[in-house]
Amino acid sequence: MPAAAAIKVMVVDDQTSMRAMIRRALQDLGFKDVRDKPGAIEALESIKSDRVHLVISDFNMPDMDGLQFLEAVRKDPVIGKTVFIMLTGSADKEIVQKAAALGVNNYVVKPFAPAALKEKIERVFGELT
Amino acid sequence: MRRVSIVQGENAIVAEPEVLISTLLGSCVAACLYDPVAKLGGMNHFLLGEPGADHRVGMNEMSRYGLHAMELLINGMMARGAMRSRLRAHLYGGGNIVSGLGSIGSSNAAFARRFMADEGIEVAHSDLGGTSARKVEFLAYDGRSRCSRVADRVPELPPIPVSLPSSVGELELF
Repeated sequence: MPAAAAIKVMVVDDQTSMRAMIRRALQDLGFKDVRDKPGAIEALESIKSDRVHLVISDFNMPDMDGLQFLEAVRKDPVIGKTVFIMLTGSADKEIVQKAAALGVNNYVVKPFAPAALKEKIERVFGELT
Repeated sequence: MRRVSIVQGENAIVAEPEVLISTLLGSCVAACLYDPVAKLGGMNHFLLGEPGADHRVGMNEMSRYGLHAMELLINGMMARGAMRSRLRAHLYGGGNIVSGLGSIGSSNAAFARRFMADEGIEVAHSDLGGTSARKVEFLAYDGRSRCSRVADRVPELPPIPVSLPSSVGELELF
């Protein structure tokens, strides 16, 4: 079982309040290394220079949306296998299908409870300690 | 003048003149956002969460409903040309008008203020709290709003339960 404290996470959402809520939820789950960025372009640069194990990214963002971000991560030879969880709105079934085709590891539908986020992370990493 | 009425859990976005968005508020909050350059605006109407048996609502529970309501409105406006940095807000509601619900109205109002501060959205006008119900009207194209107190208690609809992910059972990919 992986230790949450050993997993480095990048949270990407253009809404400050949402990033803060996700950070709190992750910290409550035992994650210690949680970074965040308001946009995918900054996040991409950041995780290229300082890799993380898990990206949790909103879909609906200006400049570069979540699908474009996912595609950029997957195409990168260094960070291409980073676990990627997408946050979507409830009506975004088509987006989830596109994300699945691009290799997303899982997705979470907003609004979500911390327990739902934990469950989706554990489906990828296994039960967290 | 065309009128668009919204109820709890809904939002409306308007980019045309002579269209009025309206709602009736009790303990709920309505955020009226507008972009004066793009000439469009929108209003939502939300209650953060259902109080538990002790009439209290957990902060996490409250935040996720409120955050989602705000995100839907802001994303909808941005999809139609608004810019986050230009948004201005008028906030209404958050009255403590129903006995037995504790200070849920105050909690809603506090959330709305905190959200705007965290997101850097200027609050151009606010009328929050108190013990009265309110009728709010918003000319989104012009960014003008008005609020009148309603003498009688607003028959607020029960909170709309947030649906579980529609994808569960339909689109289980993982």
